[in-house]
Amino acid sequence: MRVLRQLICGLLLCGLLPLAGCARSGSPRIRLRYWNGFTGPDGRTMLRLVQRFNRENPDVNVLMQRMDWATYYNKLFVAGIGRRAPEVFVLQSWAVERFARARFVRTIDDLTGGANGLNAQNIDPNIWDSVQVGGKHYGLPLDIWLLGMYTNRRLLREAGLVDAQGEPKPPQTRQEFLDAARRLTRDTNGDGTPDQWGFVFTNLDSNVYTVMRQFGGPFFTPDHSRCLLNDPRNVAALQFCCDLIRRYRVAPPPENFDAWIGFRQGKVGMAFEGIYMLDDLRKQHDLDYGGSPVPLLGAERAVWAGSHNLCLRADLKGPELEAAWRFLKFLSDNSLDWAAGGQVPARRDLRDTARFRAMPVQSAFARQIPYVSYMPRIPFFFEFQTEFDTAIEKALRGSATPQAALDTATANVNAVIARQRALLAAAGGAR
Amino acid sequence: MRDRRWLYRLSGYLFALPYLILFCGFLLLPLAYGLGLSFFRWELLSPAPPAFIGLGNYREAVGSDYFRRALGATFRFVLMAVPLTVGLALLLAVGIQAIPRSRQSFYRAAYFLPTILTISVAGLLWRWFFNTEFGLFNAYLAPLGLRVPWLTDAAWAMRSVVLMTLWWTVGGPMVVLLAGLQQIPAHYYEAASLDGANTLHRFFHITLPLLRPALLFVLVMNLIGAFQVFGQTFIITRGGPEQSTRVLVQYIYETAFNNYRMGYAAAMSWLLFLLIAVFACVQFRLMRE
Repeated sequence: MRVLRQLICGLLLCGLLPLAGCARSGSPRIRLRYWNGFTGPDGRTMLRLVQRFNRENPDVNVLMQRMDWATYYNKLFVAGIGRRAPEVFVLQSWAVERFARARFVRTIDDLTGGANGLNAQNIDPNIWDSVQVGGKHYGLPLDIWLLGMYTNRRLLREAGLVDAQGEPKPPQTRQEFLDAARRLTRDTNGDGTPDQWGFVFTNLDSNVYTVMRQFGGPFFTPDHSRCLLNDPRNVAALQFCCDLIRRYRVAPPPENFDAWIGFRQGKVGMAFEGIYMLDDLRKQHDLDYGGSPVPLLGAERAVWAGSHNLCLRADLKGPELEAAWRFLKFLSDNSLDWAAGGQVPARRDLRDTARFRAMPVQSAFARQIPYVSYMPRIPFFFEFQTEFDTAIEKALRGSATPQAALDTATANVNAVIARQRALLAAAGGAR
Repeated sequence: MRDRRWLYRLSGYLFALPYLILFCGFLLLPLAYGLGLSFFRWELLSPAPPAFIGLGNYREAVGSDYFRRALGATFRFVLMAVPLTVGLALLLAVGIQAIPRSRQSFYRAAYFLPTILTISVAGLLWRWFFNTEFGLFNAYLAPLGLRVPWLTDAAWAMRSVVLMTLWWTVGGPMVVLLAGLQQIPAHYYEAASLDGANTLHRFFHITLPLLRPALLFVLVMNLIGAFQVFGQTFIITRGGPEQSTRVLVQYIYETAFNNYRMGYAAAMSWLLFLLIAVFACVQFRLMRE
């Protein structure tokens, strides 16, 4: 017993020694708190990058904290109100304007152009524009998460959807897509209902958003003062989605969010999902999958996308600011390592490397970058999303026509805009 | 002597003090703060400073379609979940009581086990079970030619959530009722049997009346919990499909922490609080008679 106690004491002392050494040696380390929502496998990739940065920069200590995206912004916002916001944090594209307007985030234009700068030309103009509010840039885009088409190559081959070399050939046009979906939908056990589907709606939001944008309808007037969701082109796009389920019968009625499991189980030929689902498929060793751009289903090319943007707290300055920027630049410079985990780097110079071109799904999805479409940047984003989601759910489940569903959503969003305007007027009056 | 009595009285307060501090700091004060907040228009994202608007938030809630729909969803949950949970718990408790003591602990543990799971684990599991296309339940039902749209149909979704809640929460009330049952002296039953009472007679004339305190406790706790339902719907359905399972607490949560409308959310919370208080009082009154 006594020996054990001595042993434990000894071990504890040994453990404390390096700490004591730290405390003695010169200047204190700059502590940077770094918050993000990478709770999946992407979080492990990020953690490795953070650890590497800490090793290479002994004067800085980055502490990463991950929390679920669903509750991440609540915590970030509350921390900001309580003046305890982290020095560095990630904002998804739709959130940038919201947080910038709340004076939460620092602009980075002086840093990209500064001594240890970064050539903003290396970021695609449409992506660089997505972090711009009132002429200033409020974040460094790290990646671009795009929607793309995942296909089950075995099922494609079985359905005869192959090119001259016998390789699976994913559809590229609306006609090819419908044809492929029909040939992939099969009733394998003969019970009268299909058990293998050509297509599934995985994430209703991103899937329908993509089709709507391809049909070319607007969501808002340019100044976001009026919602135009019930534009005839949006109605037609939603109708097309409904037709996949009820008219062509090539997709099952939408599940809440687990239709993706069906794709993983090999019961689905094609699905639109984000690049970030790639890691999920890699673990599925019995699935022969491929990635390609979303086919052109409407009048113009468009695809749902967004970015993770690295942002700095508004009041950072001095050595803290310098260290934080060094960290941002490190992550950006090493975003190919980040991409390997299932992401597309925002930096063009990194995408032009052999290493990126060797990542088949990432590079296939990346071909869509010139025409990516980010969700509208509106302060009332969540309220808009609630209405948008409800409308497409109603339509896809058949409890309302696309026209009626979008009419309701438009009226409700316009009511939110009216409330916001009244509030702004009240603010003006108060001053 | 007198001094001692004074000390004795003080010691009571001293014992209560640690809890009272927590109670005031984390319950009473926030509650009062929330009440104050509910009379203000305070939107975090807006440049407008908080402004006193009296009962404006309450008026908006009462007139709002979203609030009424969320309230409706909450009531549907309460009306299904509370009677089913308490009824099933009673049935299970009586059943377990009837089997030999040596084997009781196994069943008690088995039925109680789901309760110790967190809602995220239980919710995720059941989301997979409920999946219409690829889920466990429909896989079992397929040979019978059945295909239930567990979560995809607005008419079914709340029932499915209730079903999951039943599995998840029935263990707690069951254990309480079982303890209540074991308090009932066996000689009451013996006497009744000698007088010729059958099983049903014994249940309705001995078990139920003597179980009343335990039943009241279970009922009130269950009702309060059911009005505050959030985790199940948030994880299994996210309030869908078509907002049919968006209950009041979820709507309040979204209003406060997604839309940052603090005053309005506080007003709705107070409405919910009043509602629960009224129901709990009515129940106490009913059971006292």
